[in-house]
Amino acid sequence: MAEVLSGLRANRSSLPQVVVAGVGRTPFGRLPGHDAASLGQWALSEALADCGLVHGDIDGLILNRIGDYQDFARQCGIDPRLTLTTPPHGRFSGVCIQAAVAALQTGQADRVALVYGNDGQSAGMRYAAGSYDAEQGGVWFPYGMTSPSAFHALMMRRHMHLHGSTEAQLGAIATTFRGHAALNDAAVMREPLSLAQYFESPWVCEPLRRHDHCLINDGGVAMVLTRAEQARDLRQPPVAILGVGQASSLSDSAFPPEDFWAGAMGAATRDSFRMAGLSHADIDALMIYDNFTPTVLFALEGAGYCPMGRAGPWVEEGHLGLGARYPANTSGGHLSESYMQGWSLQVEAVLQLRGAAGARQVGNAAHVHYLAAAPVCTSIVYGRVQR
Amino acid sequence: MNGAARPLPSPTDAANLPHWVAAGKGQLMVARCDHCGVFRFPATRLCAHCRRDGAHWEEVSGQGVVESFCVFHKAYWPGFAAELPYTVLVVRLDEGVRLYSNPAHRQSCPAIGQRVRATFASAGDGMGLVLFRPDEETTP
Repeated sequence: MAEVLSGLRANRSSLPQVVVAGVGRTPFGRLPGHDAASLGQWALSEALADCGLVHGDIDGLILNRIGDYQDFARQCGIDPRLTLTTPPHGRFSGVCIQAAVAALQTGQADRVALVYGNDGQSAGMRYAAGSYDAEQGGVWFPYGMTSPSAFHALMMRRHMHLHGSTEAQLGAIATTFRGHAALNDAAVMREPLSLAQYFESPWVCEPLRRHDHCLINDGGVAMVLTRAEQARDLRQPPVAILGVGQASSLSDSAFPPEDFWAGAMGAATRDSFRMAGLSHADIDALMIYDNFTPTVLFALEGAGYCPMGRAGPWVEEGHLGLGARYPANTSGGHLSESYMQGWSLQVEAVLQLRGAAGARQVGNAAHVHYLAAAPVCTSIVYGRVQR
Repeated sequence: MNGAARPLPSPTDAANLPHWVAAGKGQLMVARCDHCGVFRFPATRLCAHCRRDGAHWEEVSGQGVVESFCVFHKAYWPGFAAELPYTVLVVRLDEGVRLYSNPAHRQSCPAIGQRVRATFASAGDGMGLVLFRPDEETTP
């Protein structure tokens, strides 16, 4: 058995290298007159133009938050040999990329388009109560319990109790990412945010304030993935997907996880680092799923960037800012750039490794780590390709 | 449910009706696996512990510990607007089941780790809600 396993592992490293060939985005903000599918179509056209491919080149289609794959493909005039539709959960951007990597490595597709669209602002999406995918059928609604915001507030309150984390540490995350967004023309929220202004922002679900929450806006993102040997002649320098990992904490997930998802986040990170042959020391920038500020703390602890329970003081020390050791969410993230449920962070990782991030460029960035702490944790290691 | 003045237990939620009716009589009932004895709520077809089908309703102690709490400052239903800010608790019962709930006395400030005991409030139609108050007998 051990021989079989080691054989599989050896074979794994000999699989073809998957790269990001193109990325595309719509503007972010309020985009009336569009639905999720049309925003996705717009982004896909941008991604194809970015790499110099056309719709007919696409033979794999992975949709996220766009419900009707048939209508989408019909409108785009494509006949993929791999089709996958995924639910509108933010944690699924990493899941989709992992699926695309596997399909490309095994030859089940040659050029996969990953397409995401979100008309949440124009549609008046609230992420709570009846309009939201009811938690356990709404059985907790009589107690007023609803929303991912409250779920993260409950997690954070317990983190504060166990580890002494503070509101000011959450404020440090919000203000740092806003500072990054100020350097990003595409960001929705670019006005500077001071810690005092953070503390003035109203409670939504204590201990979380409005500035601890992601934005709700419209937009679309698309990526085109292929194998390295097929990307040589494309328009943009390819960016390698060196490692991917996924682990979950789905049992008992109706309640806050006792380990703040650290077990799954750690497992996903280790798998992706092993596949990439890299470790924390090799990483130049982080893209951390920031639906709420506490999620950043949970991701950092789970992935092992700091000891369990110490992420609060660690972020307060300033390690996530541009110019620091681990610049994070250099686009502004979900908190200040755009709530594209992980997808715009993937694009930012690509732009950083192309050296195309403008005023917010991380100097000589070679490896970027995307990480998402959630009931399904994902970890992706991106790498610069020399050509 | 959306737009309801205040969401209440549904008489048509057949799977969990025994829980709500028991709460109306001042009893805390949760489902218990017929095979391995692990408690669960809300009702589900399979036991997540032994993965077998079949459960019965059983009264539990109503005693537990506060794992966490949060305070809502935004009302997602009109009926909660007058109650803002209101507190939601996560209580782990001594039998292992976790519940979302509210403090029985809304002015009381919960504390993580505090021992609590179930108390009940009418929810109409013979049904009730399960609330929690500090357990003076065990909290020094």
